[in-house]
Amino acid sequence: MATKEPGNPGVNTAMIRIREGEIAKSTNWKRLAEPTSLIATLFALIIIFSLLNPRFLSVENLRNLTDQASLPLILSVGATLVILLGSIDLSIEGIMGSAAMTFVLLSANTRDSSDFGLLAVLAAIVVGIIFGLLNGSIVTKIKVPSFVVTLGMWFVGLGVATVLYGTETMPFLTNSDLTSWASTLSVGLPNSFWAAVVVVILGVTFVGLTKTGRSVMAIGNNENIARSAGLRVDRIKLAVFAIAGALSAVAGIIAAIKLGSGSPSVGLGSLFVTIPAVVIGGTALAGGKGGVLSSTLGVFILIILNNGLILAGVSPNFQSGIAGAILIGAIVVAAASQRDRLRIAK
Amino acid sequence: MTTNAKNVALSLRDIKITFGDVVAVNGVSLDLYEGEVIGLIGENGAGKSTLLKILSGIYRPDEGSIELAGKEVKFRNPEDSLAAGIGVVHQEQSLFTNLSVAENMDISVGKSGSNSSLLGLYNWGAVNKSASRTLEKIGSKLDPRTKVGDLAFVDRQMVEIAKAIRVGESSNTKPIVILDEPTSLLEPHETAYLEREISKLREIGSVIFVSHRLEEVIRVCDRILVLRDGELVAVRTKDAVDEAELFRLMIGREAKSEKREYRRDASEEAPVIELRNLSKRGAFRGVNLTLAAGEITAIVGTNASGREELCKALYGVDPADSGTMLVRGKEVHGWNVQRSIKAGFGLVPSERKVEGMVGGLTAASNLSLIFGSDSQVGPFISPRKLKTVAADWFEKLDIRPRNPSLELERFSGGNQQKVVMAKWLKSEKLSLLILDHPLRGLDPGAAGTVNLLIQAAVKNDTAVLLLADTLEEALEMGDQIIVMRDGEISSSFDLHKEQPTSLDLLEKMV
Repeated sequence: MATKEPGNPGVNTAMIRIREGEIAKSTNWKRLAEPTSLIATLFALIIIFSLLNPRFLSVENLRNLTDQASLPLILSVGATLVILLGSIDLSIEGIMGSAAMTFVLLSANTRDSSDFGLLAVLAAIVVGIIFGLLNGSIVTKIKVPSFVVTLGMWFVGLGVATVLYGTETMPFLTNSDLTSWASTLSVGLPNSFWAAVVVVILGVTFVGLTKTGRSVMAIGNNENIARSAGLRVDRIKLAVFAIAGALSAVAGIIAAIKLGSGSPSVGLGSLFVTIPAVVIGGTALAGGKGGVLSSTLGVFILIILNNGLILAGVSPNFQSGIAGAILIGAIVVAAASQRDRLRIAK
Repeated sequence: MTTNAKNVALSLRDIKITFGDVVAVNGVSLDLYEGEVIGLIGENGAGKSTLLKILSGIYRPDEGSIELAGKEVKFRNPEDSLAAGIGVVHQEQSLFTNLSVAENMDISVGKSGSNSSLLGLYNWGAVNKSASRTLEKIGSKLDPRTKVGDLAFVDRQMVEIAKAIRVGESSNTKPIVILDEPTSLLEPHETAYLEREISKLREIGSVIFVSHRLEEVIRVCDRILVLRDGELVAVRTKDAVDEAELFRLMIGREAKSEKREYRRDASEEAPVIELRNLSKRGAFRGVNLTLAAGEITAIVGTNASGREELCKALYGVDPADSGTMLVRGKEVHGWNVQRSIKAGFGLVPSERKVEGMVGGLTAASNLSLIFGSDSQVGPFISPRKLKTVAADWFEKLDIRPRNPSLELERFSGGNQQKVVMAKWLKSEKLSLLILDHPLRGLDPGAAGTVNLLIQAAVKNDTAVLLLADTLEEALEMGDQIIVMRDGEISSSFDLHKEQPTSLDLLEKMV
């Protein structure tokens, strides 16, 4: 019929013009949560805080900032991976506690004479992986939502840590080389920060350059399509939860080293820096959108805000309120771009 | 046309498959030649999708054999079928919108064909390059680095086709592409483009084309195979068949002439709605339009034409920001959905599953979602009344299964659409019904019933505003056709005075 005319160039070019228009329209308002605007926010914060208190930009404070950022950075990599899948991991603090206790009790400490050196690190990471695998298998095999599973695992982790802690006095690390490792400077910045940098680089590589990493993005976008495309969805989920568990363990170990002792509550407050940082970075809680590097920006925004407010003389009583408000604001911005998720087809 | 001189690419011999007592496909044999496009049509439940699932390795037939280029093959799973060079583009989108075109094409490719290099790390250059090669083969100029979410639907279909033939590239046979209703989500101008691209696939392989749109099947295919009740009831070459015959073969009865007697009695009463210079920034400008009771107005235009926005403005979801709107001759201000429903306006949205219904609620509850007073006792909903009211409508509209207590999501698309429409039709003062692609995804039988409902509404003096799936549908159903382009009305046709062709409409659209 009418649409049979094969070579009508007029129709073709007009069509292309329309399509370009559509593309421009759809990307325009999603920019708020993009890396460029995050970097702009970061710089704005830096400028404001350095004007409020010149000490903000001092070398000591920058070292302080990077040290404070190190644990959230490590945790945010794992959390980002899990959230990219469309799941969530709330068990961070529990795993940190268990791993920290494992690590301290197997290192030279004030309780007993055992000292397994680096093996203690390995053992603690294995503990984290086991917790992660438990999370992952309950989510994939028994199909319990990750929110519930990891919420429970948080307290299982704390429980295991408490049992390990026992009834004796707090175990302190006795090796002074070890306890000073985290704050020792290499190339001007603390070791804890460099550990975080390594983890972030590994995370970026994983998501951007490996088949499994790309599959994580795919699963987060649409799990059904991922399954029918032949991706091993369950196995990938399991792997990601295990990675997240391992990274929580690493964070727990570094937290114990910083503290110089083992305590079930080393991770206290970590969850409420990590998840907001990931969300502020623009990673969608629904999955499939965002990335490790954006979460890094989110971590720095929160850490700088926290540090800057203290230096500016704002009462610490206000700080958690401000952090919460910022989280809600970030989600409002992020949700705006998700409205089009409802429009499956137009 | 020259099919008989060519090699057989695929043949099915006496394929039979049963599920329990149901014989879904019964003794189907067919030959597909290299360079041929065959059409596969049939009502929902005729066995089309089962046959496709057999070809794509999801089901194994109980009896019969499949031959590829003369050699018998057995598909144990979808991977086997893909590796043999049979690529399926499913009705549902199968692309990840957050990934690039190239990645989408690469991600389901098995280890051997993927482009990872040392240490299992992606080699993005290679991924993009091999995607370009495949895209080029099917004549597409898409940039493989584009994010799929940024593409128009017609381009996504091209990606789907490229992806489908991608896996089989390593096998040495020519690809067989199965397209399951590839145009059902496309606008008319996009459909024209895709049809042209499908024709080009003849040069590299062969195509099985499944569609509900009979005129399209005749346009695109060399031969058309008709399935009914699991059996192949007819094979026709495209030159020797017309839509009416295909319809009869498919349904088993004559197509009723849908042309209704036009009943425009230039009544004195004010039009249902009159727009003067209505505008909304970024959507439409200076729209003048009159919708009279008992008339169907079809608006045609591309996605960017502003016609969907105009409908949303009329319904009050996204009101216009300047201009005048008169409802029954009275100017209205501060238009919103509540007022629009009060004025007797109804909207049947195109995204039935997302916007038009509450899938987890029963059909009965959906039916009384908006006008529920007939199923209430005082302020409370009476479950008993809810059921009797629903049973009435189920009978009237022949909604199946006859069980209003079933969740609506468990009904078929056609029956869901009947419930969605009944939700409005049960209002006695329905004055304007806005239908956004009401026939989308419905087979001709279900579409026929929905059409009858529309006619019934018109007879009741409801004005109907129709965004049709195809230009043919608009031409067939409308009293007047409004063509929109870039947010403005570019032309309008009174179908009682003139009979434009779809080409006339297309020219004004783009």
